[in-house]
Amino acid sequence: MIQLKNLSKVFRTELIETHALRQIELQVSEGEFVALTGPSGSGKSTLLNVLGTLEHFDEGDYLLDGQSVRGLSDRQLSALRNEKIGFIFQGFNLIKDYSLLDNIELPLRYRGISASERKRRALEALELVGLAARKDYHPSQLSGGQQQRVAIARAIAGQPRILLADEPTGNLDSLMARQVMELLEQINRQGCTILMVTHDPDQARRASRQVQIVDGQLSDAAMYDPLAVKLA
Amino acid sequence: MEQFFYYVKVSWVSIKRAPLPYALTVFILSLGLGVFFANATFYYQMNSDPLPHKSDKLFYPMTLMVPYECNDCLPPRIHSYSNVQKLSASDIPTAKVAMYSSDGYLRLSSSQAPTPVSIRITQPAFFSMFEVPLLHGSVWSDDKARQELILSKQTAEKIFGRSNVVGEKVLLDDRHYTVIGVLDNWQMLPRLYDANNRNHVNDADQVYMPLETGYDYNYMSNSQSHTFDDTDFRQLGTQGRTGALHQLQFWVQLDTQAQQQAYRQFMDNLVADEKKAGRHQSTPNNQLVAMRDIVRFFGGESADIKAFALVTLLFLGVCLFNASHLSLNRYLSNQYEFSLRRALGASRLQLQQQMLADVLLMTLFCTLCGLLIAWGGVELLNYLWPANRLFGRWDPTLLLLLLGLTLSSSYLVTLYPSLRASFGGLNQQLKE
Ligand SMILES: Nc1ncnc2c1ncn2[C@@H]1O[C@H](COP(=O)(O)OP(=O)(O)OP(=O)(O)O)[C@@H](O)[C@H]1O
Ligand SMILES: [Mg+2]
Repeated sequence: MIQLKNLSKVFRTELIETHALRQIELQVSEGEFVALTGPSGSGKSTLLNVLGTLEHFDEGDYLLDGQSVRGLSDRQLSALRNEKIGFIFQGFNLIKDYSLLDNIELPLRYRGISASERKRRALEALELVGLAARKDYHPSQLSGGQQQRVAIARAIAGQPRILLADEPTGNLDSLMARQVMELLEQINRQGCTILMVTHDPDQARRASRQVQIVDGQLSDAAMYDPLAVKLA
Repeated sequence: MEQFFYYVKVSWVSIKRAPLPYALTVFILSLGLGVFFANATFYYQMNSDPLPHKSDKLFYPMTLMVPYECNDCLPPRIHSYSNVQKLSASDIPTAKVAMYSSDGYLRLSSSQAPTPVSIRITQPAFFSMFEVPLLHGSVWSDDKARQELILSKQTAEKIFGRSNVVGEKVLLDDRHYTVIGVLDNWQMLPRLYDANNRNHVNDADQVYMPLETGYDYNYMSNSQSHTFDDTDFRQLGTQGRTGALHQLQFWVQLDTQAQQQAYRQFMDNLVADEKKAGRHQSTPNNQLVAMRDIVRFFGGESADIKAFALVTLLFLGVCLFNASHLSLNRYLSNQYEFSLRRALGASRLQLQQQMLADVLLMTLFCTLCGLLIAWGGVELLNYLWPANRLFGRWDPTLLLLLLGLTLSSSYLVTLYPSLRASFGGLNQQLKE
C-alpha cells in the first residue's frame, strides 16, 4: 500500500545542505507493523513526515495505494491526511485547553462529520484506550501514558488505514511504554498498518518487520532480511 | 453554522490563552482607528453635500461691477442692492434669492428681557430653493416689505414655550411683527448658502425677515459688507439701495445646461452694457459657481482638518503596523496548534476560515473600543475647535464606513500572520 521509489530529501539552509533521505526504496503492505530504527539524526522522523505528507520530498516518488502524492493539491493532501493517516507524536501534541473528547474529535471535524457521529466515534476510540470515564478531563489532568493513549485515540478515531508513530513511547516509563505498545499491537491486529519509529530494540523486535536507517539510507540487510538485523 | 460557532469558539479559546497580548493588539488598533475616525468624522461632515440632488443646480453669480477700474481683480463675493436688481432682471433662472444676515433682540413685550437672535434677511424663494421645512404657517407671499417674521422652531419654543405661534405678535428690536411661519428642525450642514465669509460651519439662523424690511430698517450685514463709494451705511433704505454698498448674497437656480449657458451669456451682456454706460471700467470677470463647489472656490476648506486627516491616517498606518507585529507574535506562538491541525487533516482553506472567525472577533472588539475612542476624540476636538462643533456627528453612512474600515484593518492585521502560521514548516513545530 505504501511504495517509496528512489526517494530523496534535502534540507537546505543558508549554511549547509543536509541529505536527510537518500534514494529510499521501501514497500509496506497492508497490515504490516514496521519498526523504523536508526541512530539519532539518521532521518527517521523525516521519513515518517514524508510518509504523512507533512514534508515534501525532492526526488523520487511516493505512491499511496498506487497513487502518487506528487502534484496533489493542498486540499487533496489534507483529505488524504485526514482520512487515511493517523499520527502519533513523541510529545503527544494534545491541545491543553480542550477536553479529551474535543481533542479526539479534532480530525473528525475537518471531515465534516455530524456532531453526534463525531461524539460516538470519539467515545468509541476513548473506550478502546480505556479512558472513556475521563472524557471531560483536560490533558493536564492525565499522566504521560494516559495522554499518549488519548493521542492514539485521536489518531484512530478517524479509522485510518495507516498509523504513523514517531517514538510514541519515548517520553514514557517502561510500564506505560508497554501498555502503549500493547495498544498499538491490538490496533494492528484489527488491520491497521503501522509504521513506528523507536529506539528500543525490544519494541522493534515485537514488530512484524524492522527497517533501519543510517545516514538517510535504508541499510540493505534490514530492508530485505529482518532476521539479519536480529542477529547483528 | 455549527462549524462557524466552532471556529469562533476556537478563536475565543486561543484569546483566553494569552489575553494580554490580544488586548494590547485590540487597543493599539482601536487607538489608530478611533483617532482616525474622530478626525474623519469632521472631514466627512464638512465635505458632505447637504443637497446632493440640487447642489449642481444652485449657482452663486459674481460680477466685477465696481465703480473704479480694477483689472486682474476677483469680483467681490457680495453684491450691492442695485447690482442684485440687475442680476435678477432675467427670466432664465427657475428661482432666485438675495439675502444677508444680521443680529437683533427679540422679546414678547417691552417688559421682558430681550433675547439676542441671529436674523436671516431674505426673500420667500429662500425656503424653496434650499428646501427649508416649514412646521406651521407659511412664508411671505411676495418680495415686498412687511411686518412679518418666520421663526425657527427652537426660537418659537424659547420665546413662547411652544411651536405653533402663527399669528402671534413679537417685538424685534422693539418694532412690532406678526409671526406667519415656524420652521421645522433644520440645520443644513455645511450651510453652503452662507459660505462667502466662512459662515458655512455655523448654526442655522433663528429669525427670518423680508429683505426689503431689513433695508427699510437699516439692518447692516453682520458678516461681510463693503462700500466702493461714499454711500452712507446709516442710510441703507435710500442710498443703500442705489449706491455701491455691497453686502448681499445672491443665488440663482439653473436646472438645465441650457439655462446655465443662457444665464452666463446674460451676465456677460449685462457687464458689457454697464461698461458701455460708463458705470464701471474693469475688464469683465464673471463667475458662476455651483453650490457644491462654493466652499472650495472661496478657499473655505479647513486646512487644520485636512492636515489632521493626513496625520491621523499616518498614525493609523503606524498602529496597523504595530498591531500586525503583535498579532504575528501571537500567531507564531500558536503556530504549533496550526501545524497540529494541518497534520490532523485541516486544509489551508479550513485554517483560513478559522482565521476569518479571528477577524470577526477582532472586528467586534475593535469596533466597540474604536467607537469609544472616536467618541472621546470627537469630544476633544469639539472642545479644541468649538467652531466646528456642528460637524462632530455620526450618521449611519459614517458608522458603516467605520465598520468597513475596522473589518479591513482587522483582516490586514490577521492576514499576514495567519498566512505565515499556516504555511510554516509542519514537522518543525510538532517535534517540540
Ligand atoms: N527542518 C529542517 N531543516 C534542516 N535540517 C533538518 C530539518 N529537519 C531535520 N533536519 C536534519 O535532517 C536530518 C534527519 O533528521 P531527523 O529528524 O529525521 O532525524 P531522526 O532520525 O528523527 O533523529 P532522532 O532520532 O534524534 O529523532 C538531521 O541531520 C537533521 O539535522
Ligand atoms: Mg526523530
